[in-house]
Amino acid sequence: MATAAGFDFRRWRLVLLGGLLVGIVLFAAIFAPWVAPYSPFDLDVAKMLQGPSAAHWLGTDELGRDVLSRAIYAARISMQVALLAVTVGLVGGTLIGMTAAYFGGLVEQALMRAMDLLFSFPAILLAVVLMASLGTSVLNAMIAIGIVFIPGFSRLARASTQAVLRQQYIEAARSIGMSDIRIIFREILPNITAPLMVEAAVAFAYAVLLESALSFLGLGAQPPDPSWGNMLSTGRGFMAQAPWLSIVPGMAMFICVLGFNLLGDGLRDVTDPHMRE
Amino acid sequence: MDIRSRALQDGRPTLSIRDLTVDFPKRDGAFRAVDGVSLDVWPGEIVGVIGESGSGKTMTALSTLRMLPKRAVVSGSIELGQRRILDLSPADMRKLRGDRLSFIPQDAMRALNPTMRIGRQVGEPLVLHRNLSFKAAVSRAVDLLRAVHVREPERRVEDYPHGFSGGMQQRAMIAMGLALEPELIIADEPTTALDVTVQAQVLKLLKEIRDREATSILFITHDLGVVAELCDWVYVMYRGRIVEQGSVERIFMDPRDDYTKMLLASTPTLFPREAAI
Repeated sequence: MATAAGFDFRRWRLVLLGGLLVGIVLFAAIFAPWVAPYSPFDLDVAKMLQGPSAAHWLGTDELGRDVLSRAIYAARISMQVALLAVTVGLVGGTLIGMTAAYFGGLVEQALMRAMDLLFSFPAILLAVVLMASLGTSVLNAMIAIGIVFIPGFSRLARASTQAVLRQQYIEAARSIGMSDIRIIFREILPNITAPLMVEAAVAFAYAVLLESALSFLGLGAQPPDPSWGNMLSTGRGFMAQAPWLSIVPGMAMFICVLGFNLLGDGLRDVTDPHMRE
Repeated sequence: MDIRSRALQDGRPTLSIRDLTVDFPKRDGAFRAVDGVSLDVWPGEIVGVIGESGSGKTMTALSTLRMLPKRAVVSGSIELGQRRILDLSPADMRKLRGDRLSFIPQDAMRALNPTMRIGRQVGEPLVLHRNLSFKAAVSRAVDLLRAVHVREPERRVEDYPHGFSGGMQQRAMIAMGLALEPELIIADEPTTALDVTVQAQVLKLLKEIRDREATSILFITHDLGVVAELCDWVYVMYRGRIVEQGSVERIFMDPRDDYTKMLLASTPTLFPREAAI
């Protein structure tokens, strides 16, 4: 254990680096009204499309709004969507995967074939189709992205549950008269959380990308609400005159996604017994 | 010498198995794992079932717990007290397990849930069958651990299983099995994974429990030494059948079945007797 031998920095460095990047984004998202220098909605047509300056560090957009402030508020929407989407995927997928593995037979076949069906659509396509049928709103984006995540989490949960089911403590739990539901939640669930948490961190990064993609296509956050996706979409039209309109949201996404990926990889290494010396 | 003294004192056996047959269907016919086994365990008696791997001894034990794989086909009768085990509903069977009938598995380390504190696990049968709160169950677990000679049980209930040595883990499993003062304890090779000194302590503990609580114990093993040490009565199993039964003294001094003779001859001793085969 790391605590017994003092803190092992090398083992945790990816987690720390990822956590730092994620921390910056989360801090900006949570404290946006205090961090952002301007309101993300204030128009100032006299100052439109200005480059970075002392007053507007990252310039202004085509309506004279402060780009830094908009990028900070956009982090809010991205984090909200990602958090709820990953929760939907994690809870739904875990329940389905555990149920399938535990009961086996027809239940398992029915559930996992349904998951295969969902999995067979490309993620963006599935999200777009779901958004088209649910209607465009941030809440629907959360649900759609969450549904996209369910098959992945369910497969992971099923495989992990199958491994745990072979353990003797499941037999022991049965031998003291534990019910199926209790075995699933008290014995199996705590023993499969590590791989699910790693997957959740990676899914978080993917949710940010998907949300941006949907907003870019005009299906997620609706203007004037700022989102990295719709900022990129607008910035595309001003690539030559005002490249910062695209670079800023792009960099924000890059930092956010990189942070969650590093965090996920780091957690995987830390929780993987094969990586321990 | 070959009279079953306890059978003469008491009217009814604790466990009575008659003509138990367990089949595993295969594509061509079926594999018969247990073939017409009949055996009795009387109150306060320690009965050994000895045989090599695949002789059907564990299948016999699992039938009594109704924990065989789903595809197994079971016939015959098993009575625990007045209850006909094979006719009980799954819910009634669950109420029996861990309460009137408990199971001590082979490898205690793998039979304990690594994510749950020892106190919680040892107290679990009380929560399941007596509706005790977790707090009350953990304080009972302290007494139970003390009864199986775990030192400083007040502190030890807070430990996770990996903090326990092999012998202590097996003691914890035995404590869990004792929690509700069952009529019958089924122990499936509980000392195989332990080294010899610890093994002797665990056997002594089981004997002590029998003397103190008058619990019947069905002891599954392949180890003749353990049988000689512990059991009152022995059944020898070979290829799914019981080939011989008798008191420990009689089996060791005067084995009648060829397989028993072979089994005895295959055990290295300090003063080899003339091989009788």
